[in-house]
Amino acid sequence: MLDLSAPYVQRALLEMLLLAVPAGVLGGWIVLRRLAFFAHAVGSVSFPALVLASAWGIAPQLAALAAALGFGVAQERLGRVQRIGADAATALLLVGALAAGVVLASDVFESGTEVDTLLFGSLLGLSATDVWLTALVAGATVVLDAALRRHWLGTGFEPAGARALGLRPVLAERMLLAGIAATAVVALGAVGALLVTVVLVVPAATARLLTDRLATLQLAAVALAAVEGLAAVWLADALNVGAGSALAVLGGGVFAIVAGATALRARAVPAS
Amino acid sequence: MNSAGVVVRGLSGGYTPGRDALRDVSFTADPGQIVGVLGPNGGGKTTLFRALLGELPVRRGEVELPGPPAYVPQTEGARLDFPVSAFDVVLMGAYARTPWFRRVAAGDRAAARRTLERTGLADVADMSFGVLSGGQRQRVLIARALLQDAPVLLLDEPLSGVDSVSAARIESLFAELRAEGRTLLVATHDVRQAGEWDRVLCLHGRQVDFGRPAAVLSPETLRETYGAELIVLEGGGRAVGVGHHGHAH
Repeated sequence: MLDLSAPYVQRALLEMLLLAVPAGVLGGWIVLRRLAFFAHAVGSVSFPALVLASAWGIAPQLAALAAALGFGVAQERLGRVQRIGADAATALLLVGALAAGVVLASDVFESGTEVDTLLFGSLLGLSATDVWLTALVAGATVVLDAALRRHWLGTGFEPAGARALGLRPVLAERMLLAGIAATAVVALGAVGALLVTVVLVVPAATARLLTDRLATLQLAAVALAAVEGLAAVWLADALNVGAGSALAVLGGGVFAIVAGATALRARAVPAS
Repeated sequence: MNSAGVVVRGLSGGYTPGRDALRDVSFTADPGQIVGVLGPNGGGKTTLFRALLGELPVRRGEVELPGPPAYVPQTEGARLDFPVSAFDVVLMGAYARTPWFRRVAAGDRAAARRTLERTGLADVADMSFGVLSGGQRQRVLIARALLQDAPVLLLDEPLSGVDSVSAARIESLFAELRAEGRTLLVATHDVRQAGEWDRVLCLHGRQVDFGRPAAVLSPETLRETYGAELIVLEGGGRAVGVGHHGHAH
C-alpha cells in the first residue's frame, strides 16, 4: 500500500502533478508541430552530461541543460545542411550522445544500477530541489504558452505567411524548442534520459486522438498526464518496478486503447 | 487609404549572396490597380513578393509601400491536420494588432465574421480548415488577408486549382478591393485573366516587361517570359503558362 505520509512518495506525486502542466501545454505543441523526435533526442543527449555531472559532482540539471542547449545549436547548424535535413541531424546527434554516454559510464560507474537510474529515472528518489525546479518550469511554460501561442499557431499552420501576419516565426520556434528542452531537463530525474517522451509526447498524442480544439487538447493532456503520473507512482510502489517504466507501459497502454476505440468508432460512423 | 501605391526601382535579390533569383525589377502600381504577375515556376514571382514583404535575405534597390502588405500564400503550404476552423484562420489577420495578453478584440471577431460572409464562407466558418475544398481554403486565406486591412495585397496564385464558384467569387472580390483603392499584385499562370487586369508584370528571373495588358501581352513577350513552358490555345487567342502541377489553369 502506498505510504502517503512518506516524504519521498509525496515528492513523487507532486512531481508528476507538476510535470503534467508542461506535458499538456507544450506536449500539445510537440504533437501538432511534429517535434516528438526532437523531444526524445533532447532528453537522450543529456545522458553523457549526466554521467559527467555524476563523476565531477556538479548539479545534474545544469549539465543536462548545457547538453540540451548544445544539442539545439548543433541541430540547427546541421539541419541547415540541405542534404542532411533536421531529422537525420537529430538522429546523428542522438546516437552520438548515447554512445558517448555509454563509453563514459563504463569508466565512471562500477555497476549498471547508476546507468539504469540515469536512463530510466528514479521517481521515488527525487530531492526537494528537483520538485522546485519542475514547479519553476511548469510556471514558465504556462507564461511562454500565453505569450507565444498565436505565433506557434500561425507559424505551425502556415509558415510562409506568418511574418506578414506580424508573427515572429524564428524567435517563437527557438523559444518553443527551449521550453521543450527545459521540460526535458526537469523530467530527467523522474523518467530518465530515454523516457522523456513518455511525459512530453504520449499524453498529448493520446488527447489529440480525442479532440480537434487546441485548448481542449492541452487541458486533456494535462489531466491525462496527471492521472497517468499518479497511477505510475502507485504502480511502481505496489509492484516494486521503476516508476518511469511503469509510466511508459501505462501511457502506451492508454494510447493503444484510445486509438483502438477511436478507430472502431470511425468504422461504425464513417465520416461524411 | 494611402494615396501612394507600390513603387519598385531597380530591385534585385535572392536567398543567398551572389545568386540573384530576381534582377532589375522596376514598376509602379497605383492605388486601385490590379497587377497580374506572370512568369514560369522559378521565374521570380514568389521572390518578388518576399522582397516586398521585407523577407528576402539579399535585396538591393528601392521599394516604397503605403503600409505593410498582406500576403495570401498558396494553400499547399497550409497544414490540413491543424486544429483550426476557418474562423480561427481568418482571426489570425488580427494578431498583429492584438497584445499577447488579450483575447482578439470583439470588434475584430465581428469583422472576421463579416469577412467570412463577404467571401461566401459564413456557412463553413466553424468547420475545420482541413475539410474545406481547395477553393474554400483559398478564400479563407484571402479573408485572413482582408482582416489585416492592408493597403496592398500580394496574392500567390490565388486562382490556381480552385473550383469555378470560388474563382468567380475571388474575381468579384478583386473588383471590390480595387474599388476600395487597394493595390493588388496577383501571381498567376493564366494569361487571359491577367489580360483583364490593369497592369501586367512579366518575370523570368528578371523583368521582361511591365505595362498595360494590351501593350505587354504580345506573343514575343510571352515567349520570352515562359520559354518552353508556354502553351497557346484557341488559335493563339489564349495563352496559358504551365503551372508546377503540370496542367494548365
